[in-house]
Amino acid sequence: MRTATAVAAPIEAHGHNHWSPYVDNGGTTLAIAGEDYVLVASDTRQSDGYAINSRYEPKAFVLSNNAVLGTSGCVADAKRLCEVLEQRAQLYQHKHDRQISTPALARLLSNTMYNRRMLPYYVFPVLAGLDSEGRGAAYAYDAIGSMERVTNSCFGSAETLIQPFLDNQVARNNQRGADPERLLTRQEALKIAIDAFTSATERDIYTGDYLEIFIIDAAGVHKETRELKHD
Amino acid sequence: MDRYSFSLTTFAPNGKLLQIEHALAAVGNGSTSVGIKAANGVVVATEKKTGSSLIDVSSLEHMAMVCNSIGMVYSGMGPDFRVLVSSARKMAQRYIQTYKEDPPVRILVKELASIMQEFTQSGGVRPFGVSLLLAGVDDRGPNLYQVDPSGSYFPWKATAIGKNMINSKTFLEKRFNSDMELEDAVHTAILTLKEGIEGQMTEESIDIGVISTLPAAQSDGKAQPTFKRLSPAEIRDYLSNIA
Repeated sequence: MRTATAVAAPIEAHGHNHWSPYVDNGGTTLAIAGEDYVLVASDTRQSDGYAINSRYEPKAFVLSNNAVLGTSGCVADAKRLCEVLEQRAQLYQHKHDRQISTPALARLLSNTMYNRRMLPYYVFPVLAGLDSEGRGAAYAYDAIGSMERVTNSCFGSAETLIQPFLDNQVARNNQRGADPERLLTRQEALKIAIDAFTSATERDIYTGDYLEIFIIDAAGVHKETRELKHD
Repeated sequence: MDRYSFSLTTFAPNGKLLQIEHALAAVGNGSTSVGIKAANGVVVATEKKTGSSLIDVSSLEHMAMVCNSIGMVYSGMGPDFRVLVSSARKMAQRYIQTYKEDPPVRILVKELASIMQEFTQSGGVRPFGVSLLLAGVDDRGPNLYQVDPSGSYFPWKATAIGKNMINSKTFLEKRFNSDMELEDAVHTAILTLKEGIEGQMTEESIDIGVISTLPAAQSDGKAQPTFKRLSPAEIRDYLSNIA
């Protein structure tokens, strides 16, 4: 019996040319939660391998309920995830006649990501906002929506450099005589965030250019920008 | 399947949907249920009417908890109520899964009402033969809603549905005031039911459910308002204050 031969040779035959839907655009995001505020800091460099796509492409987005979604990973997925989340927040607002609370939005984000279990959003988000008691809340996720409420978190190309630094300086792990329960003040958190990024910029090629810092408290969302090294 | 692709509920020339009218009649044949919204909570109560003294009244469940902060009672056909309780519970859990919070009462009411309306416009089905009273506490405080077979819903301060609804509502109009505390509301609900009950009213012949805005401490330390069905002993205490 004659079988038809394939016209196009399958790419998989080689094994190393396979097309991937995912791209890592580099960059880093961190969050620190305090007693009555929460801080999100992310660099603005967008890369593709050794190429720089943009020196200023923000990775953290303010949502309509005064929460901030910090992202890292694939920028296309991050932007879409943010849009989808904002849409759901708006629908909630219309239905309930009030803003969605941060814990509810956090759960919603988790579900949104898990629904794409089989082709995940290549995003490692951190959601920051005030909880129902006015305390700073930061939620950290993996790419399929596994969530945890934290006082500090870092994701992205420099996470391995920054997270241990946060563990020691914010959570005060492995420090003799330190009080791990005490939360940072805004000034302390700001200083640590800036120091973390200036240090990471030196060592990580994908992190740098500009630093955007969002501080969320009862008064709203306040944004600051700092310069980072452009090399 | 095609044989019932059309709706059984169709307009009469006078603009009424007769199936819904008949469903309301079925509700009107059912035991009376009463609901009162107090300043600090909500109470719903119903008569557990049984045709025979041989029925084990203690296992009759007229009062259903939908989720921690919402409870539900009915007048009309018991089996139809069970189906709606099941739907309401699933709806509430879906909401909790999405937002990790109990649904506000008005949100649950709208979804339930939506389902009931579907059964007046879908092929091959009949409307539900129940009116529901939903009692719950949410971000707006205490809530009391009625949902009808048509899918219409009404927010109430105090109301009655079922056999004795007209007399009961008249009674409530005189007795209700918006500063009522939950305790007084329970008392008034019992008195309202008593007006329509033939014979003796005992802790076995009525069912009462309450939810207070003051949250009860939960095992995980987080306080949350909880819908509670009163035990026969608790009802007996209330009854002893009436006689």
